[in-house]
Amino acid sequence: MLKDVSRRQFLGTAGAGVAGTAIGAFGFDGAGEALAASIRPFKLEGTTETRNTCPYCSVGCGVILYSKGADKAAGKKGQLVHLEGDPDHPTNKGTLCPKGSALLDFVKAETRTKEPMVRKPGSNKWEPISWDAALDRIARLMKDDRDANFIAKNKDGATVNRWISTGFLAASATTNETAWATYKVVRSAGMLVFDNQARV
Amino acid sequence: MSEAPVAPQFQPMHLGEEAKPPMAVTPKPETLFEVRAKRFAALAPDHQLKGYLEFLAAIAKAQAALLETLPPVALPESEALERAFEHGMAPIARASLPAADVAMKTLDALLSALKTVEMPDKAMAALEGVIAADADERRAMVDAVLSDTLPHEEIAEHVYVAAALQVHFARLAALLDADRLTPVSDGACPACGGPPVSSSVVGTVGSQNTRFATCSCCATQWHVVRVKCVACSSTKGIHYNHVQGTADTLKAECCDECKRYLKILYTVTDPELDAVADDVASAGLDLMVREAGFSRAGFNAYLAGF
Repeated sequence: MLKDVSRRQFLGTAGAGVAGTAIGAFGFDGAGEALAASIRPFKLEGTTETRNTCPYCSVGCGVILYSKGADKAAGKKGQLVHLEGDPDHPTNKGTLCPKGSALLDFVKAETRTKEPMVRKPGSNKWEPISWDAALDRIARLMKDDRDANFIAKNKDGATVNRWISTGFLAASATTNETAWATYKVVRSAGMLVFDNQARV
Repeated sequence: MSEAPVAPQFQPMHLGEEAKPPMAVTPKPETLFEVRAKRFAALAPDHQLKGYLEFLAAIAKAQAALLETLPPVALPESEALERAFEHGMAPIARASLPAADVAMKTLDALLSALKTVEMPDKAMAALEGVIAADADERRAMVDAVLSDTLPHEEIAEHVYVAAALQVHFARLAALLDADRLTPVSDGACPACGGPPVSSSVVGTVGSQNTRFATCSCCATQWHVVRVKCVACSSTKGIHYNHVQGTADTLKAECCDECKRYLKILYTVTDPELDAVADDVASAGLDLMVREAGFSRAGFNAYLAGF
């Protein structure tokens, strides 16, 4: 039975395959072999360029992230090595502000917050908390505070429905839709102390 | 009457150069071949392909020298041009080159100019073969080159024809109004419909860091969004390879979707890089990327067979 010969094996036996090229056709045979031999000690080095959006503000500048060393087959993640403004992005056309230009340090900062943290009353340190526990705790505390301090009417008896004992600070790098939903949720709860990117 | 109060005026803060790349840049034949000849010559010393690069430098030099002697070229009738623009087609139709065109005179002139160039016997035999060919045979060769397929047994002969056509089509494309060019199709030149030879991330004022593909036939450059396959327009599975230990200003942009690659030259970092010359000089990268299972998306007559 005939064994399948892979293209790689075939090229290996055929002198790395510079025969049948323009170089050979013009009679520069030696040059083709020298070329094939010269690459033998070398390996390919891969880089990835990835489009992303700067997380800092609502301008939402496009960035191109350069990373090296990723190996999908081995499940190895690449390391970010460089970034620059995306020249094809309609918002920033390749430019970046000083904060955006420094994103590499932001991504690699050891002090970067990577999970929900809580600083309990009376404590002086931050502790990790799961997303579920954090959301449950926030909802519980908001409900208790709203029940205790909600003002339905002012002293003249006019309906005001305000809740001013809790404040809400929401994200900046959000879409219009996220900003709209945030605004509706917070304002319909009666909260006045509120800021997010929808204001800008 | 006092003047109305004027709101304070602020200068925009300088955050870098804004990129507003044109859709296409037409070639300047008067410098194109001269610069390419110099680049081939500069790449040759200590290169494994030294002899070949010097030979190609001589061809590029001959191409540059032709320009002053050739009769003027003419674009198609304005009616045909308008029809092409209206239907989103390339205004220079490669497939319908007139038989008694300046292209044939260009080929004639290039062939005579190359007779004095030092070259291996095989190259000289091929040159004499084209010189001896009659009008019909030459026409058949022109048609083969313009369909981007060089017959396996006559590669060298057809490369001479391709070199002459580079001059002819660059001169034609130079006459076009770049502002009127529009994209025609994935991986096709908006001026002549030809395939790209390579692409370059440029540093020209107003286009910083944007990428242009260079036509293998007429040398028109057209804008292609970065991190996108020039051949199939996929944005998925794009990755870049270069030879470990060498400058990372020249990479192979590989596409997992169509399993092809096109070299990308970072002229923004190294302005010396030439779309054609550096493509040839980096043929080692082709051998390596080919082993990794990708095939060339670009066309370069000087690397026919790769």
